[in-house]
Amino acid sequence: MKKYWMLIKNTWDEALVYRLNFILWRVRVVIRFLITYFLWSSIYSGNQQFFGYSREMMLTYVLMVYLVSNFVFATRTQNIGSEINEGKLTNYLLKPFNYFISLGARDVSDKLLNFGCTVFEFAIIYLLFRPPFFFQENLGLIILAVVAFVGAVGVYFCISVLLGFLGFWTSEIWATRFIFIILLDFVAGNFFPIDILPKILSQILMLTPFPYMFYFPVKVYLGQLTTSATIQGFGVMAVWVFLLTKAMFLVWRKGLKVYSAEGR
Amino acid sequence: MLKYYFKIWLRFTLSAFQIAFVSRVGAFLFTFAKLMRFGFFMLIVVLIVTQTQSLAGYSLNQSLVFFLTYNVIDTLTQLLFRDVYRFREHIISGYFDYILIKPINPLFKILFGGADPLDLIVLVPYIGLLILFITQLSVTVVTFVSFMLLLINAFLISAAFHIVVLALGILTTEIDHAIMIYRDITSMARFPVDIYSEPLRGFITFIIPVGVMMTFPPKALFGLLAPQFMLVSGVIGIGFFVVSLKLWRYALTQYTSASS
Repeated sequence: MKKYWMLIKNTWDEALVYRLNFILWRVRVVIRFLITYFLWSSIYSGNQQFFGYSREMMLTYVLMVYLVSNFVFATRTQNIGSEINEGKLTNYLLKPFNYFISLGARDVSDKLLNFGCTVFEFAIIYLLFRPPFFFQENLGLIILAVVAFVGAVGVYFCISVLLGFLGFWTSEIWATRFIFIILLDFVAGNFFPIDILPKILSQILMLTPFPYMFYFPVKVYLGQLTTSATIQGFGVMAVWVFLLTKAMFLVWRKGLKVYSAEGR
Repeated sequence: MLKYYFKIWLRFTLSAFQIAFVSRVGAFLFTFAKLMRFGFFMLIVVLIVTQTQSLAGYSLNQSLVFFLTYNVIDTLTQLLFRDVYRFREHIISGYFDYILIKPINPLFKILFGGADPLDLIVLVPYIGLLILFITQLSVTVVTFVSFMLLLINAFLISAAFHIVVLALGILTTEIDHAIMIYRDITSMARFPVDIYSEPLRGFITFIIPVGVMMTFPPKALFGLLAPQFMLVSGVIGIGFFVVSLKLWRYALTQYTSASS
């Protein structure tokens, strides 16, 4: 375990080498959040109900997505594709550690760093704007939300790794990731809760893995899902985690067979 | 001189287009993604306005004109100034030295050296839709001319923003995200800045003149912008551009060519 701990430590140090760059990255994250926050805050300025959400619930949703997404999104797996294309994957294959655990270790570091910043930023935002925030008091829902949150990390990790593994077959890795990022904004609930979309559309989206990355955990926290919808959601999420994990290992094995360490 | 630079720009642009289409699959996927994002945002505008009846007093048609104006300005600036996104690499690798010794203005090369053809492709439907929605409004010659003048002013401000980012790139070398922060802030103007409450609205209208860039042109088109604001917009545009050039000249004096 000591070697993985060193990976976590090194990834942390690496992120802080270019500090101004890191600070500017965090500034971007906060600005992007504030844009969404102010937009919804302005729409609800008259305290009306829109899309079945009160002002308090919508702003809590936006704030919770900010917290959740900063943890779920924080990853180093976006570099996998270019590491394969440039032959840098060889460095990992030659070292005496499990590739997937090393990916996990690097992700843990990135998540701790970014989530630490997020909590700090959240506190400042809360003190500055005093947004109406719904604190869930039902312990059962909080536990379920944490479980959904862990599942969200799994779903995002698998998809991100799979997108990186495309690098075994093509150098066109950024275009697909670009599409994925756009989809996250709109069909995963990053920008708005997907139940504001027409019902048939949101029902179809609930069968895809996207809403399980932000929308579902936050809705569980808010206690806005019926018991059957919660059970169904966890069921679909479990199926996706299982299928994506299977696919991840299968693609890895197939990819290694065609990997030529090009560029090394 | 103008003809000389236009010929160089054409050469740069043709080369950039050829590079962009080396990978046709990638070009197709990026174009598809840009159009998909546009479609999603348009859907949000429609959903919000139909649900709230009006956005800060603007009808659905007017809200879409705000949204499309933002997209046209944003896409056109990306189309023209795409090379700015690669500038940090030029500084770090020392490639900027080669730009400095060439017989053209280095700022011209960095600003206009790599037009993005994918933005040209997506610009066509944006402009088409903008014209379509404008024709459904009651527009006079005066309001339309005001709209066009303010669009030119918006490009001037946008160019100034890009020049400031380039200058910061030379001064600090750690400005990967500066241009993206500019884009994030301008994205607030997908919706009219009137929807934001004070002091934010004042801040993004006059301090970081996003409102002047993106919201003022459609307001002029609707006949809702007082003449004095037209004047203020021009002053802000020209003033900001002059300051950005001064900052660029100062940054050049600080360039150390350390990487080469």
